[in-house]
Amino acid sequence: MIKNEINIMKKKPRKHWHVSDRGTQALLLIPTLLSASFVLFIVIFVTRRGISPFLPSVYGANAVNWIRFLTGTTWFQAPNIYGVFFIIVNTVYIVMFAALLSVPIGVITALFITKMTPKGVSHVFQTVIELLASIPSIVYGVFGVGIITKLVMSLSEFFNLQTAGGLSTLSTIMVLAIMILPTVTLVSVTAIRAVNPELEKNSLALGATKTQTMFRITLVSAKSGIFAGIILGIGRALGEATAVSLVAGNAGSGPTLDLFSTTRTLTSTMLLGLKETVGLDYDIRFSVGIVLIVVVLLSNVLLNAVKRRVGRFS
Amino acid sequence: MNHSSRRKKDISIKIVISLVSTFGIFVFCSILFFVFQNGASLLSWKLISSDYYSTNYDTYYDGEVPSQPFTRPNTLSSDAFFSEKWGIAFIDEVDNEGIAYVQIIYVSEDSPLRILPDKNDSTQEVTIDEYQALEKVIFSNRTIFLSSSGAENAARMFDQSDGILDMLTSTPGKGIRGSIITTLILIGLTLVISLPIGVLTAIYLHEFAPKKWIIISYLRRLIEMLTGIPSIVFGLMGAAVFIPFVSSLTGADGGNLISGSLTLAVIVLPVIISSTEEALKTIPDDYRQASLALGATKTQTTFRVVLKIAIPGILSSVLLSIGRIIGESAALIYAVGTAIKDKIILTERSTSLAVHIWSIMAGESPNFELASAISIIILLVVFVLNIVVKLITHRLISVGREKI
Repeated sequence: MIKNEINIMKKKPRKHWHVSDRGTQALLLIPTLLSASFVLFIVIFVTRRGISPFLPSVYGANAVNWIRFLTGTTWFQAPNIYGVFFIIVNTVYIVMFAALLSVPIGVITALFITKMTPKGVSHVFQTVIELLASIPSIVYGVFGVGIITKLVMSLSEFFNLQTAGGLSTLSTIMVLAIMILPTVTLVSVTAIRAVNPELEKNSLALGATKTQTMFRITLVSAKSGIFAGIILGIGRALGEATAVSLVAGNAGSGPTLDLFSTTRTLTSTMLLGLKETVGLDYDIRFSVGIVLIVVVLLSNVLLNAVKRRVGRFS
Repeated sequence: MNHSSRRKKDISIKIVISLVSTFGIFVFCSILFFVFQNGASLLSWKLISSDYYSTNYDTYYDGEVPSQPFTRPNTLSSDAFFSEKWGIAFIDEVDNEGIAYVQIIYVSEDSPLRILPDKNDSTQEVTIDEYQALEKVIFSNRTIFLSSSGAENAARMFDQSDGILDMLTSTPGKGIRGSIITTLILIGLTLVISLPIGVLTAIYLHEFAPKKWIIISYLRRLIEMLTGIPSIVFGLMGAAVFIPFVSSLTGADGGNLISGSLTLAVIVLPVIISSTEEALKTIPDDYRQASLALGATKTQTTFRVVLKIAIPGILSSVLLSIGRIIGESAALIYAVGTAIKDKIILTERSTSLAVHIWSIMAGESPNFELASAISIIILLVVFVLNIVVKLITHRLISVGREKI
């Protein structure tokens, strides 16, 4: 009975709609459909352009063999040797290390902000992290070239190793780690704030110290939310372009597992050496774009599966 | 015993956590320190107002010598050297590459040297003004001044001479006027395109969409997917969709500011939709019902009552979008191009401030000073925008409802 009444109450306003309101509703559907169609636009047009390098009907004898494209370990513009396999490996390798560096720091910072400081201090910390998140990637790029590559160069001299002016895997990892730190931290802060304070109080009452409570109760309860932040950060790191291309060094072949050698990521491949806006060397960048989209999607699906797995053991 | 060791462990872990947590602040400070150390000295009105490419002027003066000596203006700084005969002042300056040159710092309104004929094109006239560099002068008494001689010699040689056979000056260049104009145009155009679409979409999704339609949730998911797409992929879409589209309409050749704005509009669309919807959500239903009870239709209620209350939320979405547009580089490299321009035309390539940095950093010899100076400008704008947005949302949450 009551349910029915509520339903009637909910329906009421719509019954009183004027004829013109139906018109408004129909008109407003147009911008909505337009907004929703852009994703499809991206997929359709980038795919169409990205497939063209593999079609003999477009590029004749110059057409790229797609198997060689997917398994190749060299990338040279001049004789049209385009292999993207090593670039995928480089990208995943770099992003993995960046996440490994960034996640512990981010989570600990989030704990510090939420649990260990008085309100004023935590406010300052959070504002700084938010400002860090708002810094555009090109500024991180300038900072990366100006400071981080220099840092890596002196580090390599210390170990008696060679670097190409500091442009290296390690520099890229460090720049990316810094760039995803605010994402991981801010999402973790939200996740930790959502943890039921009763749980923590119970833990303290049972005699656990504050740090034990933070690591064994708070973090464990918030792990699902924290993992969402990690997924977001990794997605951002995979797609990060300008800063990465300034410090990666664009190696011609690979994969590069050595931290002090130059490397090449999917995004740096798309950006660097961009001169002509027609021809095979331009269109192949769209193919790399497709690969990037697939890598981002796959990592998302994979990490979400892991997240569900992790969430189950609580 | 056990208790105290536990406490010690607890405290030491806390110290470690505090130290690790300062990393973010450390990075923030070092970025600020780095850009200010490198760019602050370059930051001036001259940088903002001058062209990127320097222009050379070749002039002469064969008219009469002014009868009255000029008086030195009081506003002139003490290290400037003034020529009383011609009413012109010079100063020693150092350019972006650290090379000394002589800069014209003052030309009197009545000075005959203010407007000179162009030596290569007699129909043209050249205005000599401050900021121009004095490269070389051949005086009528056959003395030759070179930029390396310094400002003091320049003033002395001008005073000793009765005419100028040949004078070479140049505008400073390396300025960012063009890129600032481009950035402003991009911000304006992008908002004009995306704001109506975004706000109307949010209104539809929150106020008008039939709740029973499953399609609506799919549409919503498609819009949300835009936030996860890397910005460089938006650039690819701009190159594949918007550049051909704009070219066929306007006859533009390749990347242009319109295709760039369309691309940016898609990038900021989810921001505008989600913050407008958040703003709509905070409006209590009482307002809608009160308006409807007074006999207003749903459409009138939405556009005259609900939308008005949502304006602070929409405003914060505009500010967030501006921040995003100013910082965007990867998408614009594809959708517009990387050619730095001084004369900005809508249907041609030019660079926003962020892409300007990219252009000078990705080249053979990166110009750190200029890149840092532009970074300072970008950072200041973005930080101010962020803090304003924070204040707006804070107001919305705390006092907003009572105030309405």
